[in-house]
Amino acid sequence: MEDLNLKKIEKDFWKNWEKRKTWDEIQPGELRPTIPVFLTKAMIQKYARAIGDLNPLYFDEGYAKKSIFGGLIAPPSIHVMLMFACTPDDDWMREPGTINAGQSWFYNLPARPGDRIRLVCKALDRFIKKERLFVIHENVFYNQNDEVICSGRGWTIRPR
Amino acid sequence: MSPNRFEEIEIGQVIEGRPMEITRETIREFAEASLDFNPLHLDSDYMSKQEFGKTKFNEVIAHGMTNFALITRMMTDWLWPHGGIHRRLETRWLKPVYSGDRVTPKAVVSKKIKTEKGQWVLFNIEVRNQKDILVSSGEATAEFPVSKLFPQ
Repeated sequence: MEDLNLKKIEKDFWKNWEKRKTWDEIQPGELRPTIPVFLTKAMIQKYARAIGDLNPLYFDEGYAKKSIFGGLIAPPSIHVMLMFACTPDDDWMREPGTINAGQSWFYNLPARPGDRIRLVCKALDRFIKKERLFVIHENVFYNQNDEVICSGRGWTIRPR
Repeated sequence: MSPNRFEEIEIGQVIEGRPMEITRETIREFAEASLDFNPLHLDSDYMSKQEFGKTKFNEVIAHGMTNFALITRMMTDWLWPHGGIHRRLETRWLKPVYSGDRVTPKAVVSKKIKTEKGQWVLFNIEVRNQKDILVSSGEATAEFPVSKLFPQ
């Protein structure tokens, strides 16, 4: 398993645009291809800084070691980044114009630096409301011990 | 972790989160950190032309997940010193957030529940902008564990 090379991440979401599944092509129940990711301290801390969250549980090893977590952890919402880290460029979640309408997440165990994170995800449903094309998708993140880190459901409005 | 303070928590208790000033730079920084480079958040030219059904934003919008992350930041800031664990968050996005906006999350304790194996607190969540317009609403759940949760 390769570490995620952040320098190689494709930032242009128009690339592979034509390869992505449209609303008509998304099959509820079908697993989306995913890529396991080695979660580093640098990835966690970059994410935490971007949301202005300098909690010592994410930054101070000595402090975190004495806490109930027994070591550094990631903020619960790290799944926001892991969703993109664990999916390929042609995944439909990257489609330009995808509008996030709502999310619900349950947190089981904290993600930690050094974890190898695996995502299992699929669309669960698609529907039309007020002429908008919606997809409901389910996502579960696991660590290297196959323990659930968090699980969640999202509602997105598809651009086409 | 601090001792479990479940018994002290009162229905209607308000938790004020720290505000965040949204700028093009914070949106760019969130894109880099979350790996979500959707042109919705970065491409003014695209947003000035693109229509989303009957909606047109005219300008780039902040990631909805920034609000989500601000709420989780508020929850963990408050919960950990109270001996609680952030267990669940559900949000809906009601209005777009633009560069120049200032967003502030808030939680209000709505219920306290004891189950066979746990103690739970439910919160109503909202995020408002500087004009006091509700941009996001939702519900959160925290557990106040009665036994050790993360064995080492």
